[in-house]
Amino acid sequence: MNLLTKFAALAVVAGGASLGGQAQAATICFAFQDLETEFWVAGHKAITTTLTEAGHQVIERNANEDANRQLEQVRDCVAQGVDGIIIIPQDGDSATTIVREAQDADVPIAVFNRPPTDLSRGIVVVADNATIAEAATDFVVEQALENATEDRQLNALIIVGDLGDPNAVGRRDGFRAAIAKHEDRFNVIEVASNWDAGTALANLEAAVTANPQIDLMFTSSDFLFPTIRSVLEPRGMWKTAGEEGHIPLAGLDGDATACQLIKDGYVSATGVQDLYFEAESALTAILAAIEAGDTAPNEVIEDPGFALTQDNLAEREMDMWGCVLLADGFLNR
Amino acid sequence: MTSLAERALDAAVRHATYLIFAAVLLWFGLQSPVFLMPESLANIVKQSSFIGIAAIGMTFVLLTGGIDLSVGSVMFLAALIAGMVMRALDLPVPAGMVVALLTGVVLGLINAFFIVVLRVIPFIVTLATLFLFRGFGIWLTSSTQFDFPPAMRAFGLSSILGVPLPIVVFAAFALMAHVVLAHTTFGRQVYAFGNDPEAARKSGVKIAWVQARVYVISSACAAVAGFVLIAQIGRLDAGFGEGREFDVIAAAVLGGASLMGGSGTALGAVMGATLIQTVKMGLVFTGVNLYLQPILQGAIIFLAVLADGLRNTRMRSRLRRTIRTVEPASGPAGRRI
Repeated sequence: MNLLTKFAALAVVAGGASLGGQAQAATICFAFQDLETEFWVAGHKAITTTLTEAGHQVIERNANEDANRQLEQVRDCVAQGVDGIIIIPQDGDSATTIVREAQDADVPIAVFNRPPTDLSRGIVVVADNATIAEAATDFVVEQALENATEDRQLNALIIVGDLGDPNAVGRRDGFRAAIAKHEDRFNVIEVASNWDAGTALANLEAAVTANPQIDLMFTSSDFLFPTIRSVLEPRGMWKTAGEEGHIPLAGLDGDATACQLIKDGYVSATGVQDLYFEAESALTAILAAIEAGDTAPNEVIEDPGFALTQDNLAEREMDMWGCVLLADGFLNR
Repeated sequence: MTSLAERALDAAVRHATYLIFAAVLLWFGLQSPVFLMPESLANIVKQSSFIGIAAIGMTFVLLTGGIDLSVGSVMFLAALIAGMVMRALDLPVPAGMVVALLTGVVLGLINAFFIVVLRVIPFIVTLATLFLFRGFGIWLTSSTQFDFPPAMRAFGLSSILGVPLPIVVFAAFALMAHVVLAHTTFGRQVYAFGNDPEAARKSGVKIAWVQARVYVISSACAAVAGFVLIAQIGRLDAGFGEGREFDVIAAAVLGGASLMGGSGTALGAVMGATLIQTVKMGLVFTGVNLYLQPILQGAIIFLAVLADGLRNTRMRSRLRRTIRTVEPASGPAGRRI
């Protein structure tokens, strides 16, 4: 299924919800924290394109990673009398405040992908970060164990995201859960990135210098793969599967770069958030609430996700949004 | 007569930042001996280069009592424009670096225009351009990542006589800035402006021209800093450089630059950036809990700034003690020296 087909399917969802009972198209406020990575860009595009093509009006607000500004923007949307709000929040705490603010003003709200700390209010569409991260890590753990002798202690390195972000915490938990299954075999090395390539570069260089033997690596976001390559390549550690010195690498997001690197053999697995499922779920739920006149819909919709690996690449490739983008020529633009 | 102990204390206070730096090195070295290996130390300097180059430029601005909050956005936009020009004209990487530098100059001129010509205070101008420059860059890329040609990473990972290129660029900028500040008329004018703009103006310094140039220098340094880091990664993301202005200002202040203007050196900025990076790297080497790392970083930086504050206080008090009334040999009227 190509990108066009994915958007068409989403448009049917949005159009169906709007034609089902609404006499007029809805006005939706879409407030996002920023668009720093491929995942957020693709998510933003999926939501705005789908709503616009279905005849709804979209008011977009970019908070530039400022939680206070996002709160003000949502208040502004409420003052404009929007029918519903979709947010990608900056963090879990600010999301809770914004959801409460919107519901108190009788405006239904959906939170996309980054969950509030309080899941009891609002429509919350969230990937099961811990389970997805665990599935991807399981795959590289098995590879690392296969490559090692029985008695050797192995080093498992994780690049952690911003620990103020619940997604980063969930991914770290998933990684640790996978390692815990073989606790006696692994030392864990944690490297902070704060979702910043420069920070990740500096810290990863330090970690690899301090621990030259890395047996597996997990990055909490696929957008850091180019940074990982910059550290490993000069040290002769950036190898494809089957080459001497290959380090099993795993990530999470499912972006186009990760898809390319899995195909090339550098990356073994990545946890995939089903972007189109999440966008479709958020749109369906918010439009249904508007149609039903429900101003405070509360629902948690979980994206189970999956791990795309070297083993299931042939069957599941086009279930990953990054591979869809890749097939659409995203990396060549 | 000053006792030996007092002189030792004076020396310790005067070089507090260096002593803290040595203590930090020693502490982390004891925790993890690999930390003191040449590769690790070179790595610290290499990773300091990004913030260090920008901190050198920031020092010029701080010396005039100004501030430049737009450096993080300049890093992003200048690197992006350089990449686009490189791709469009098929330019080699060194030429791309020149394009980044020139872009930084243009962005600095925009800041300077509002500050010097329209007399808007630097904080407001550079806060506005922080959003303006980043917004422009995000508009150019539609938030998608920008991949540089493969030659870019080869350049970023290259070395000259065994010294990694980022360190070479860092050293070159530090040396140039040191010479300019310590040995040129312009350098003396920058200090004069920072100490008392009105007095500098009355003594014939073209203060508008001096002020404009420091913002151009700051942006040019930030642009090169961004290019140097991106040369190592090969890909520019929309979040690149975001929030880096705080690291840059912290490095300059830690190196002895005063937010009030008039004091600071280029080599101090080098020391400040390297100290911050040493702490960060040391925490990684010793495997400190990720939740504790920002707390420890903040504590060590606070300690260094506090020591710097104590040094300034002590130096001022010692200078006061030298002011005394003396009787001239030929008359009763005293004079103050």
